Amino acid sequence: MTAFALAFVLFAAGALVAFAPVRKGAVGATWLLVTAGCGVMMVLAILAMLRDVTRPLVTLALPLLGAFGFELTALGALFVAVTVGVFALTLPFALRDSASFAPARRGAFVGLIVLTLAGMLALFTAAGIVSFIFAWEIAALGIWGLVGFETRRAEPVAAGTLTLALSEVGSLAGLAGLLILAHAAGGNGLDAIAAAAPTLPKVLVVAGCVLTFFGFGMKAGVVPLNLWLPAAHGAAPRSISPILSGATLNLGLYAFLRLDAPLARTDFRLGLMILATGAVTALIGIMYAMIEHDLKRLLAQSSIENIGIITAGFGAGFAFSALGHPVLGGLAIIPALYHMLNHSAYKTLLFLGAGGLDVATGTHDLNRMGGLLRRLPVLGMLFIVGAFCIAGLPPSNGFASEWMLLQSLLQVVEVSALPVRIVFALSGAALALTAGLAVTCFIMVVASSLLGLPRSREAAQARRAPRTVWMPMAILATACFGLAMVITGIIPALGRLTAPLVGADATDALAPAFFGHVQALSQAAVNGLTDLGAQLGRGLVPLRGLVVLHAVGPADSVAYAMSTALSFAVIVFLLFVVWLLARGLRHHRQVARRVPWAAGLVRIRPEMTYTATTFAAPARVLFNSVFDPEVAHQEQHRGAFLTVSRRQEVRVNVVDRLIIHPVTVAARFLAQTLAAAHHGQVTSYASYMLVALLVALLAVRYLIGS
Amino acid sequence: MSTRAALRTFFGTGHPGLAVRDVGMRLSVDSAPAALPDIAAALMHEHGCGFATLVVEEDATGFVARYFFYARDDATLIEMVTHAPPGTELPAISDRVHAADWHEREVEDLFGIRFSGHPFLGDFVLHDQVWPEGITPMRREFDASVRVAQPGLGEDWRPRRLLEEEGSIAFPVGPIWADYNEAGLWLLETPGEQIYASQTRLFYKYRGVEKIAEGRSPAGGLLLAERFSGCAAFAHAWAYCEALERIAGCKLPPRARALRTVFAELERIRYHAATIAELAGATSLAVGKSMSQEIEERMLCLSAQVCGHRFLFGLCVPGGLAWDPATATLATLRAGVTDAAKEFAKLERLFVHTSSYLDRIEEMGTLKPDVATLYGVVGPVARASGRSVDLRRSLPYGAYADHPPEVPCEIEGDAYARLRVYFAEIRASTSLIQALLGELPDGPVAAECAAAPGTALAWVEAPAGGTFHWLRIDDDGLIRRWRIAPPGFRNWHAFHRALEGAAFQDFHIIMASFGLSVAESDR
Amino acid sequence: MANWTLASLVRGIRTARWPRRDDLPPGAIPARWHGLVATPAEGERSIRDAVWFAATPTSRGPLPRRFRHSVHVRFVDAGASGALISEVRLLDAPPYNMHRFGIFVTATPRDADVLLVGGPVTEAMREPLRKAYEAMPGPKRVVAIGDDAIDGGVFGKSFASAGGVAEVIPVDFVVPGCPPPPAAIIQGLLAAAGRITPQAFKERV
Repeated sequence: MTAFALAFVLFAAGALVAFAPVRKGAVGATWLLVTAGCGVMMVLAILAMLRDVTRPLVTLALPLLGAFGFELTALGALFVAVTVGVFALTLPFALRDSASFAPARRGAFVGLIVLTLAGMLALFTAAGIVSFIFAWEIAALGIWGLVGFETRRAEPVAAGTLTLALSEVGSLAGLAGLLILAHAAGGNGLDAIAAAAPTLPKVLVVAGCVLTFFGFGMKAGVVPLNLWLPAAHGAAPRSISPILSGATLNLGLYAFLRLDAPLARTDFRLGLMILATGAVTALIGIMYAMIEHDLKRLLAQSSIENIGIITAGFGAGFAFSALGHPVLGGLAIIPALYHMLNHSAYKTLLFLGAGGLDVATGTHDLNRMGGLLRRLPVLGMLFIVGAFCIAGLPPSNGFASEWMLLQSLLQVVEVSALPVRIVFALSGAALALTAGLAVTCFIMVVASSLLGLPRSREAAQARRAPRTVWMPMAILATACFGLAMVITGIIPALGRLTAPLVGADATDALAPAFFGHVQALSQAAVNGLTDLGAQLGRGLVPLRGLVVLHAVGPADSVAYAMSTALSFAVIVFLLFVVWLLARGLRHHRQVARRVPWAAGLVRIRPEMTYTATTFAAPARVLFNSVFDPEVAHQEQHRGAFLTVSRRQEVRVNVVDRLIIHPVTVAARFLAQTLAAAHHGQVTSYASYMLVALLVALLAVRYLIGS
Repeated sequence: MSTRAALRTFFGTGHPGLAVRDVGMRLSVDSAPAALPDIAAALMHEHGCGFATLVVEEDATGFVARYFFYARDDATLIEMVTHAPPGTELPAISDRVHAADWHEREVEDLFGIRFSGHPFLGDFVLHDQVWPEGITPMRREFDASVRVAQPGLGEDWRPRRLLEEEGSIAFPVGPIWADYNEAGLWLLETPGEQIYASQTRLFYKYRGVEKIAEGRSPAGGLLLAERFSGCAAFAHAWAYCEALERIAGCKLPPRARALRTVFAELERIRYHAATIAELAGATSLAVGKSMSQEIEERMLCLSAQVCGHRFLFGLCVPGGLAWDPATATLATLRAGVTDAAKEFAKLERLFVHTSSYLDRIEEMGTLKPDVATLYGVVGPVARASGRSVDLRRSLPYGAYADHPPEVPCEIEGDAYARLRVYFAEIRASTSLIQALLGELPDGPVAAECAAAPGTALAWVEAPAGGTFHWLRIDDDGLIRRWRIAPPGFRNWHAFHRALEGAAFQDFHIIMASFGLSVAESDR
Repeated sequence: MANWTLASLVRGIRTARWPRRDDLPPGAIPARWHGLVATPAEGERSIRDAVWFAATPTSRGPLPRRFRHSVHVRFVDAGASGALISEVRLLDAPPYNMHRFGIFVTATPRDADVLLVGGPVTEAMREPLRKAYEAMPGPKRVVAIGDDAIDGGVFGKSFASAGGVAEVIPVDFVVPGCPPPPAAIIQGLLAAAGRITPQAFKERV
């Protein structure tokens, strides 16, 4: 409790110091104070995860609102650790940017960051619906302030307003759901609701789950309320985007686990709904990422995709556990949580990289970049590492988590019901397509920003990236590498965290000995592993990066094997061989270095090389019916001469087009109809009142009667 | 009222200041520069005349520009002559008579005459990356024998852009292609996949034929006339010889006229066979390509058997033909053409029954009739876009006055329409050859034709469209100015309009369907 | 639906036999090699017996032995006439089919052993031609085809044309003719590949 309070005091002190008029000292002191607070929280969170017991932090009983408490659970501690990690690593860049602000503006900036951080930490430790919604709103306000921080430009203000509006729509829906559940459960503690879930009326559980899932899902970026996300992440200050994508999206994911997991365990259809929503979100996210040429917006769309994958994993886990397969459920949620860790790591890395490129070139338009690897080798290489991981290429952490998740979805063969199988199969196909598109998308990002020729003067004269960007990026790249290599250490830890959600610890149930001590494996299991080629991995690689989830039983005959460490070793070995060969060739033969063959052109000019837009053209053609662009074509003529041909393709997001837009049109129509009714005489108003009174009376009669 | 009479009225009453001379089939009008655009537009749009060519010549007082038009149905040529002292600008007519666009750009590059109102002057024949600013090779004082010392822009050259779209690029194709295509650069402006604008950058093969011919003897000019194009050598040789004959006023024997017509049609069949082969190759229809190439090879062998050269070089000479083919040789020719006609019929049947092939060429590279008219395209390309223009009918020459050819016409303007036109023209040429060889007049094949000073315009419908040769022979009997207006120069101009909206992979198909030669256009 | 396979089978093989030149159909080798005005030679024997290619004085000779049986060729049009282009396009047509000699066309000079160049080398094609030659890996050979490529032909040396390929890049073999027929071009390529030499060729005749 005291350590917890100490951290909050440090945060507050940091925000206050930022207001000091001494530029250098203020920035340094702020960094020290807030980072110290983050450190304290990190230690607390790690201890909580290790101990795996829930510790109450604050217990208040407010008049009228009831219990207002906070507690640190093991699951919450995981989210706390991720959050403080992302904030601590992004803070130097944010402070670097704020160094040029006036003291008051700098104070407000740091204050908003700290407010967001505090709100998020409070949410992850909230014990009841009152504290939950209180923390949620604090965080929402902080995010609104950060997105629209550059009040002098119209775009961030509009994006901030959109964010706040959709956030409030979402939290109102979520609040309604929470109130229904709390009322039915007879107490406003989150644990109480979870405990009462199996006994509650079905219709209330479904209503509560749907409202909280879609309402709080808004912060995660789940369809349909995710339009704000690319706008906000694209318009937010460059040092804030890493926080928004790396940390704040986890708010929604936490809500799914904390609120919806117990509800969805009562009815497998809720799990299927979450699974399908996640898959659709992922696919739409990556499709729109493909056609973006603004790096920040592209990364935001890719966040939607990753959140979709994680949500799908949660949904699959809930469905499995509702269908009586808690181990399989755990196997779906573990990779989803693992993917969340990965996403926080590499998305923060990539957004920091985008910020660094912005500092270096002054733009985040991919079409105006190109050839930056030559100018920014360190930042470029780190960015490539991030892109490699997010594209899910082996042996990266992104590959490991997506592979495990897809493997888990394949386990649906254990379930007999056909509709469930169909939903799983379609979702799995959507996720597989998503993974494929993600590779294409991030090849495009790397190729169009870092490789090729510089396509603008800014790109040709790019400045060096600041230390505050590439050093945290290096830490995050190491984290990504670590997450991939020590996967056997992470999976059991995550398994313990998910156990309460699904009712069983998957890693305990499956080949438990493997994660602890290999020798104790039964001979049958060893034979099974040898069939999978796992023997090789054990013998060769010192790091135990081999993922084996194995159980050969009547209920759960699961067997996966994959080694990140081994594949890493193989790739390193192959690269080494190639290097040796190249070196040998260079020693023994003549090597001619020439400019690329350009068909005899005088010179390949930057405007002749592929941009992000041209690269994505096949995707635009392929998914044309989804994008359904409106083409504005305009030609300028001078007599018979065509002098300029102007084209513009406007693509409205499919979610906006098919869901949001019809809803707003209908609402507007309704409002106009109602407005028309307001031009009557006194008598007509009196009759409206009479009708309303009658309806109210009938309703009361019916409710009391029932 | 005939077009000719209408034109006389137009020049007589509409423009009282104009001096009109009526010489043979030619109406010659002296016009002030300022009146040019209006008259040119009226000729095009009110009287339906076709633009033939623009000939600029340097004389003692400055430049003389001759704009040639022809009435499409009345065997009438209209020549508008205007004088431009050095340093003056001429008004551009190409914003209304768009067919003159490239002519004006060429004149600006080679003579240094500016055309006011033309938005895209410069960097045309003389590429800015190669040639320095301010040189005018076609001027008299320019020494054509030595290389220009100063370099051009080099790597600083940048292409002009037409398309303004986020992220669009100008994708270069050429100048050295990945297959056997001729040197030329095409900049395809695209946001990816679809081509929304493009630019044809020719004259990588500019050999300065018009300039290096100056001062050569007419015989030396004839060698150039055959060799600058090569694949339509006989047509250009004929047009060149016809110009010489017109100057000298020599009359061709009937046998020479008939045989020239036969060989011109033989060349047309062979040229179209090559185009059909290329089109099949562009769509990866390998068997169709091989079969077309085989017929092409047979036509080449037939030519070599008849006259000793596969491309009919050296056959056409001023005054007629270089020698009289033996009767047995002509019989071989007749039999060969008949055989080939059967092969073509088989091939056409195979093509039109191959749906995968038609899928690739139908509605592909459509040149709409209004665009074709605007750009004044000629030849089979025009005839596939609903423009029935053919110099063999409009301004008959050779034996065409007595044997008017059938002129096929399609209106779709796509690659398939062009393919149908090629096959129809092959049929028409075959029957024309049969008819002419069947009633070949006896007598000599050449008349005496000594070079005489003077000027003349001559024309021939080459396989790719009408070509005009304007020649001035000086008092020493040497070439003083020779203007070649090849059909490729007209049709490449419109080529970019056929690409609009096409996908990358269709570019080859559309290009092959145009059946144009870069060498012929570049000169 | 057209049946191309059936049509091809019915037609049978139409490829000329090679390299017994007497099997080439009449007209495959023109009597007037350079297209100049002259009556065709009686019986066309003189042309048929002529050597169709020549090594230049500065020739590096054919490609080394190990490269001889799979030769990759890149054609560069440096101002060639349409007739030459037409003949080059027939190189891999069924009547000639140079692939049977292991000669293949590549898309880029990066993979080419032999550069086939036509045309007098126009001013605008000087640099592209030089770049193409430089882009080729060694050992490499250049075959100039056509009278224009040898010395500029009728275009000669002027402000617009360099007057032959040798003015820009080293040339190893030339194939005279305006234009040389495909059969002659193939002989030139075989000479560059070291598969035939003028002497050996005569012996075979």
